[in-house]
Amino acid sequence: MALPVGALPGSGARRSWAPWALLRLGGVAFVLWAVATVTFFAIRLIPGDPAEAILGGPGSQASAAALAQARADYGLDQPLVVQYLHYLGRMLRGDLGVSYALKQPVIAVVGENLGGTLLLAVVSLLVAAAIALALAAWSARGGRVASAVSWVLEVVAAAVPHFWLAISLILLFSTTLGWLPPVSVPGPLGLVLPVLTLALPLSGFLAQVMRESILDAMASPFVLAARARGEGSGGVFWRHALRHAAIPAIGLAGWAFGSLISGAVVVETIFARPGLGRSLLSAVQQRDVPLVLGVVLVVALGYMLVTTLTDLADRLVDPRLRAA
Amino acid sequence: MRRVLLWTGVAALAFLLVAAIAPGLVAPADPLAIHPTQSFRAPSFAHLFGTDESGRDIFTRVIHGTGASLLIGISATAIGVGLALVFGLLAGLGPRWLDFGTTRFLEVLFAFPGLLLALLFIVVYGPGVMTSTIAVGLATAPGYARIIRSRVLVVRRAPYLEAATVLGRGWWSRLWRHLLPNVAGSLFVLLTLGIGQSIVWASSLSYLGLGAVPPAAEWGAMLSAGRTYLTSFWWMTFFPGLFIMISAVATTLVGRGLQQRTRHP
Amino acid sequence: MKRVVVPVISILAVALIATGCSAATTPTGTQPVSGGVLVYATGDAEPDCLDPHVGGNYPQALVATQYLESLVSKNTAGEIVPWLATKWTESPDGLSWDFTLKKDVKFTDGTVLTADAIAANVAHVQDPATGSSTGYLALQKVTGVTAVSADVARFTLSTPDSALLDSLSQPWLAIESATALKRSQAVNCESPVGTGPFVVKKWTHQQSISLVRNADYSSPPADAAHSGRAYLKGIDWRFLPDSASRYAALQAGTVDVIDNVQPDTLVAAKKSRDLVAIDAPRPGASNRIELNSSIAPFDDAKVREAFIRSANVNDAVTSLFFGTAKRSYSALSSVEKSGISEPSLFDYDQKAAAKLLDEAGWSTKNADGYRTKNGSVLELSLPVSTNQSIPAEQSLFEQLQATSKQAGFKVDLKPLDLSSWYGALGKNQYNLVSAPYTKVGPDVLRILFDSAGTKPAPSGYFANHSQVKDPALDALLEKAATSSDAAERQSLYKRSQEIVLKGFYILPLYDQQNHYLHRSVVKGLRAMPTVSTPTMYDSWLSR
Repeated sequence: MALPVGALPGSGARRSWAPWALLRLGGVAFVLWAVATVTFFAIRLIPGDPAEAILGGPGSQASAAALAQARADYGLDQPLVVQYLHYLGRMLRGDLGVSYALKQPVIAVVGENLGGTLLLAVVSLLVAAAIALALAAWSARGGRVASAVSWVLEVVAAAVPHFWLAISLILLFSTTLGWLPPVSVPGPLGLVLPVLTLALPLSGFLAQVMRESILDAMASPFVLAARARGEGSGGVFWRHALRHAAIPAIGLAGWAFGSLISGAVVVETIFARPGLGRSLLSAVQQRDVPLVLGVVLVVALGYMLVTTLTDLADRLVDPRLRAA
Repeated sequence: MRRVLLWTGVAALAFLLVAAIAPGLVAPADPLAIHPTQSFRAPSFAHLFGTDESGRDIFTRVIHGTGASLLIGISATAIGVGLALVFGLLAGLGPRWLDFGTTRFLEVLFAFPGLLLALLFIVVYGPGVMTSTIAVGLATAPGYARIIRSRVLVVRRAPYLEAATVLGRGWWSRLWRHLLPNVAGSLFVLLTLGIGQSIVWASSLSYLGLGAVPPAAEWGAMLSAGRTYLTSFWWMTFFPGLFIMISAVATTLVGRGLQQRTRHP
Repeated sequence: MKRVVVPVISILAVALIATGCSAATTPTGTQPVSGGVLVYATGDAEPDCLDPHVGGNYPQALVATQYLESLVSKNTAGEIVPWLATKWTESPDGLSWDFTLKKDVKFTDGTVLTADAIAANVAHVQDPATGSSTGYLALQKVTGVTAVSADVARFTLSTPDSALLDSLSQPWLAIESATALKRSQAVNCESPVGTGPFVVKKWTHQQSISLVRNADYSSPPADAAHSGRAYLKGIDWRFLPDSASRYAALQAGTVDVIDNVQPDTLVAAKKSRDLVAIDAPRPGASNRIELNSSIAPFDDAKVREAFIRSANVNDAVTSLFFGTAKRSYSALSSVEKSGISEPSLFDYDQKAAAKLLDEAGWSTKNADGYRTKNGSVLELSLPVSTNQSIPAEQSLFEQLQATSKQAGFKVDLKPLDLSSWYGALGKNQYNLVSAPYTKVGPDVLRILFDSAGTKPAPSGYFANHSQVKDPALDALLEKAATSSDAAERQSLYKRSQEIVLKGFYILPLYDQQNHYLHRSVVKGLRAMPTVSTPTMYDSWLSR
């Protein structure tokens, strides 16, 4: 849904494997630490007493004794620095605290919901990539219809909110035609509409990027050389141009991950699908700080994993990026 | 073809601007006036876009909501691009360590996918029009900052700037006379593209119940109110949604058109 | 059998071919069939705790009705009928009640239902650490429970309580296994143990509760349609907060029963042969707007009356509810036999409102058309609980906001989540509020309007949001609660309601709406005559 503004990571200087891996790991650790720190201090800005929030929000009218007990239990009576260090320590042990609203360990809630979101995101990504590839191939080979379709998809990608697309798909395929369930049911059938909602806009962006790089590639010297060697145009396309097109598309993976997670908040809510996005939204609505923090951290970790894998894939696909 | 698209976008934007500045010209009625006896009317000549649950005319409300919705989009984009400009200039112009620090900070922000950053902000400051606007601005800033930084780096190495340095022009003069004017082009494109995006984002937040609140005549709030009646009275969600899409498509067309022009002068 | 192939996008087509759609058409029988899992989609908030002793709200009651049982129940005629207790006797002074328990009833953890278990349950509700509000308030006069014998439990009371049986019929005072109650509250909240026809198998937070049949069930209420275990093998109790998707899921057959049905879909469902509606208004209070009389400007009865006169409720109800809700002029639900109705007090009359405001000193208007007095604006804060007020009700508040503006009131609608909403009430930062309150019997008047109700229960909740503090009313309500003479009680409740209505403390809207829709394949579904929660014990699926 969002514009891939600045989504393409800058291509920094490339080094050989070992320093690269070290730097990468250091970067991941740094970003996670920074994310944890930013969120820790951000939630201190929340007006109101955290102890009150633990005891069920301002409506609970907890007694002074209960508040003091909660402060002691959660270490809220200690200096901020001590609290911060404790928080980092617990985080290192994988303890993300207990959800205020669900009264369950955050890590358990996240674990319960992670699978649903991952499945949704991965299937959507694959479907989007398939659509984008088909469109890019088709339009790069001169299909006027394909150009029009991918142009429409691009505009859809930029202008149609996920919720609007979801609602339209429900009205068309569930309410009017009655082919697909309007809310998520277990099994592949329940996955169709949520996946389409996420995949259609994404495929618009991917197709746009792929088409441009395929056109570039088709006009590039190595393709001309291959042609000159007498390779068929189909072979040239699949062997050379496509490989070329994959690079910027892979570079978009980090951004696509973020877009899919953002989209999952909306899609999981509308289709009543269990997942991280839906948990996050209800945690935000109930100001369930530990759960919000937990989900944010897990998503940040996921983002870092994806970008690292992307860089790795880049190095594998594009030999020029490998150090001599 | 591209020209036609660009002008279509410009025309649509012009219409939206008129609706935003002088809604009374397009739809003279009161957007908040209720007529309970005329609730849930389907679109007709009397009510072009139908009426809502309190008998308010949806056409009037959509037109009167243009100002609020565009304002949200413009403010959010201004916040996003403004912040990005600060970061981008710091990174692009400052000493190496500042560039390093700012870039790392942006990398951290990138680890919060857009909506997540917005939601985190809303958790801290509570839902509402103001917070959702700022949240959208914040969420979009890192992306803009990255673009501005790379643009600044390109301009900085340009011969005319090096010439200005050699000629002994001061730092501020170089910034105002040479750098900003050269970054301004892409900045303008970003702003145009961003407004539509921000409106879409803000409407998503409203739809999730975290933005503007009914009965305000704002598109997101109207959508959120109409969502309950989706299966019975489609026009309550369709028309506000249509205007969100029109504004996003219009800004996208204009933005892309301008992008093409700046790229191929 | 229909097969659908869509050549739109290859991916979509593949997905569809792989699954296909089939609709079985079996003749609908009349003989109950055993087996099958019923899917219930609730629009109510997800409970924090499945033990309705803790807190005690309607979402808990809805689901707890499937696995917990009370001492007594009510039939459709409004008479108390036996459930876990087979008979009961009140002592002549009204200060002690003996309940004889049904024999050979076992909790689903294997323990036996005894008088000691009843004592443990009452102690649990009355323990401040449990944090009970609804159950706690209903047991205020009970000083303790002792076991006379293994199957006779004696309740001792501080003063006679004419509402005791009504109170005990509610799900918030359902009987749980004493052994299970000894576990920590966190554990008991996840898997409460009762004697009901179903058992909580697994609660997947934010998704669903899986309930399975209790194979050894033997204790249906006296008005149940069959005996022995339930027909259904289980219930899939899903949380589906979005009303449009809930209805769409019912239409598509993804779920079998939905609650919190919106007025527009109720009208649409009437046209469908596949869907059946159940209208079961909740007992206790009517849905009303309470006017906080403890702070300005509503500390002045004239301003309260002016607001009520300036609110055009009738047109709003007609436009928003399509005839599915009837306007109420009573403090009590229409199912309560002791309710009185005073339509003339609530006539919409802008002229009268303007006159009253002039008399009350709010005689000047500012540029926006709002009334002022000594420089302050006639502003009213209305916190709206988005969890408790359905969208149509929120729209109704918007319409009242618009009509009362004509009189010069500035009503600020503040949509809040449940916790912030309780917070606003607790801080006395409201002038208007709509808070549903469900309780069996007219004793709800004591909870809502007795001056004691301005003080919070252990959970922090207080029920007297109008903040009526009238010693004469307190005395009437107290006398009604201790009177054993039905006619006298009736007249006392009538006089109490007159004080409330004529004091303009509340603006009644309609009964607490409680509509269920189910697919016609679901048979034997009914709402309990106690608090109108659905019971699946007699239900079966004909598919």
